[in-house]
Amino acid sequence: MSLFDILAQQLVNGLVLGSFYALVALGYTMVFGVIKLLNFAHGDLYMVGGFAGFFALSLVAGFAGPGWFGVAISMVFAMLAVGFLGVVIQRVAYQPMLAAPRLSILITALAVSLVLQNLVLALTQGQYTPFGANLGFGGINLGNLYISNNQMILVGTAGVLMLALELFVSRTQYGRAMRAVAIDKDMAQLMGINVNRVIALTFFAGSGLAAAAGTMAGAYYGSLWYFMGFLVGLKAFTAAVIGGIGSIPGAMLGGLILGLLESFGTQIPGIGSEWRDVFSFSVLILVLVFKPTGLLGKSEQERM
Amino acid sequence: MKMTSLLAASALAAVLAVPTANAQETLTIGVLVPTTGSEATYGQDMANAVELAIEEINEAGGVLDGQQLTSVVGDDACDAQQAVNAASKLASSDVVGIVGGYCSGATLPTLQIFGDANIPMIIPAANSTQLIPANPGNAFMINSTGNDQVAKAMEYFEANDVESLAIVHQGDAYSQDLAELTRERWEEAGNTVAAFEVSSKGEQDYSAIVTNIRSANPDAVFWTAYYADGALLIRQLREGGYQGLIAVGDGSNSPELFNIAGPAAEGVIGFSNPTAEFLPEAAAFTEAYTEKFGNAPGPYSTLTYDATKLLAWAIEEAGSTEADAIIAALESADYQDAIAGPISFTDENTLARSNFVVLEGQGGAWQLAE
Repeated sequence: MSLFDILAQQLVNGLVLGSFYALVALGYTMVFGVIKLLNFAHGDLYMVGGFAGFFALSLVAGFAGPGWFGVAISMVFAMLAVGFLGVVIQRVAYQPMLAAPRLSILITALAVSLVLQNLVLALTQGQYTPFGANLGFGGINLGNLYISNNQMILVGTAGVLMLALELFVSRTQYGRAMRAVAIDKDMAQLMGINVNRVIALTFFAGSGLAAAAGTMAGAYYGSLWYFMGFLVGLKAFTAAVIGGIGSIPGAMLGGLILGLLESFGTQIPGIGSEWRDVFSFSVLILVLVFKPTGLLGKSEQERM
Repeated sequence: MKMTSLLAASALAAVLAVPTANAQETLTIGVLVPTTGSEATYGQDMANAVELAIEEINEAGGVLDGQQLTSVVGDDACDAQQAVNAASKLASSDVVGIVGGYCSGATLPTLQIFGDANIPMIIPAANSTQLIPANPGNAFMINSTGNDQVAKAMEYFEANDVESLAIVHQGDAYSQDLAELTRERWEEAGNTVAAFEVSSKGEQDYSAIVTNIRSANPDAVFWTAYYADGALLIRQLREGGYQGLIAVGDGSNSPELFNIAGPAAEGVIGFSNPTAEFLPEAAAFTEAYTEKFGNAPGPYSTLTYDATKLLAWAIEEAGSTEADAIIAALESADYQDAIAGPISFTDENTLARSNFVVLEGQGGAWQLAE
C-alpha cells in the first residue's frame, strides 16, 4: 500500500468511527442546550442501547434473521426503549435538581452513570455478551482501498439519522420550541411553550440516538459489556466540545473531526497507536484553551 | 416431629460439646481473582477450582491433624486499584495463605501487600516477567513465565515460515511485557517486526491498527492481551481483508473468543499453559469439576487446583501455619502430585520448567495443534 492508499483507508476508518462519536455527541450537546447539563450518564445510555438492541435482536432474529434487517428492527426498538429511559431518568433524577446549583445536577449525572453501569454489571455478571448479529463480509475494492458493505451501511444510517434530526430541529414546531428553550428557557415559557415537554423530548431524541449508535456498535464490533459506554462517552463529550457544545451541527462536525483525528493520528511518525487517546484529549485541551466555544459554538453572555 | 428434631438438636449439641480443639479450627485460604469485569470468566473458574480442591482436602481429613480448610474470595476485577483494595482486605483477615493472581497488572501491586503481611502466596496464572523482580520472596509462580511463552511462540512461527511479524498489545503489564519480549527476541533472531501497535483497553474500534497492519503486510499478527478485545481485533482484521496467520497469547485462549469473534477465529493459533481438556492426567479433575459446577473447567482451573493442593501440602510439610515455615517448604518443594506436572521452583520462585502448548481454533473451539 502506498502512503496515499493508507491515508485514504484511514479516512474511511475515521468516518466510521466519527459517525459513532457524532451520534453520541448529539445527545450531549442537545441536553446541554436545553438544561445546561453535562449529562455524564449519556455514554451509559449508549451502552444500555447496545443491550436493548441485543435483547430485541434475540427476539426478532427468528423471523427477521441476524443480518442488517434484524439489526434495523432491533435498533428502532432500542431507540424507543432507551428514549423512554432517558425521559424517565430526566424526570426522576434531573427534574428535582433543576433549581439547585449547577454542581448538584452534575453530581447527580455521575450517580446515574454509576447506577446504569452497575445495573448492567449485575445483570450480565461482568461478562462480555456476544451480540449475535451476523452481518456477513464483503465490500468494494477501489485499488488498494477497501470499504466493507457494513462500513457503508453504518455511515449511511448515521447520516440519515443526523439529517432527520437536523430537519426535525430546523423545520418543525417542536424543533423551534427546542431552539427557543435553548436560547432562553424562562422567556420561552412566557411565550406559552411547555418547557417540561420540550426537555423530555430532547432527552428522548438524544437518548434514542445514543441507543442507535450502541446497537450499531454492538452489531458491527460484535460484543457488549457494561463498561463500553465510558470511553465512548468521553470521546463524544470531546467531540461535542470541539464542535461547540450546544450546537447540533457542531456535534456532528466534532464527531467526524475526532474520528478522523484518531485515525490519522496513528499515522504520524512518533505518535502511533499508543498515543491515540492522548492525541484526542490533547486536542480537547487545545480547543478549550484557544477556542472555548468550539468550532461552531456561539459565545454567550451569562444571564442572571 | 417436634420430638425428633429436639433429639437431633441435643445430639448435635453433644457432638459439638466434645472438646476437639484442632478439628474445630478452620484455616482460611484467601483467593484473589477477578470475579467481575472483563476477565470474570477465568476468575470464577479459578475460584471454583479452589473450592473443589478444598472440598477434596477436607474429605480426606483436612491438614495438620484434621484442621479443615475454607476459602474467602477477593475480587480484583483485573484492575490494579481494585486489586490493592481486595488484597489489603484479605491480608488483614487472618488467612493462612493466598491462592490467586490472574491478571499480571492487577497482581503486581498486591505482591508488596502480601509481602509486608508475610503471607505465603501461590500465583497460578499471572506470568508476566515483571512479577519476578517485584516478588518480596513470599510469592511462588506455578505458571511458566512470559519467557517460556515467547520461546514457544517463536518456535511455532519459525516452523511455519513466518518472517515478518506484527505485534499488538494493550499497554498493561502482562501484554506489554509479552509483546516487548517477543519483539526483542524476534529481532535478535534476525527476523522483522513489521508493526508494533498498542490499543487501549475497552476500545472497540481497531480499524486504524488494522490499516497499519495491512499496509505493513506481515506474515503473522501476534495479539498478546486478553480474549475479549482480542476477539474484536480478529474480527476486524479478517473483515478488513488481512489473510495471514493470527496468533494469540495465553490471555486469549478462552472459548469465549469464538463466541465474540465467530467464524473469523477459525484457524487462529493460541499459546496456552496446559489446560484440563488437553491433559490426560486431568480426567478425574474435569469430571469432578463438571459435576460440581455444571460447566467445563476453564483454562486456569487446573493450575489453580494444583496451587491450592500445593499450599495444603506445604502447610503439612511445614507442620505448622507459620508463614516462614510454609515459605521454606515451598522454596524446597519437589511436588509430584500436580495435574499439570511436577512443581519445583527456581531461585526466583518461578516454575523450574516450561509448560506451554500450541492450540488452534477449529469449529469454534480450541484443539491441540500438534
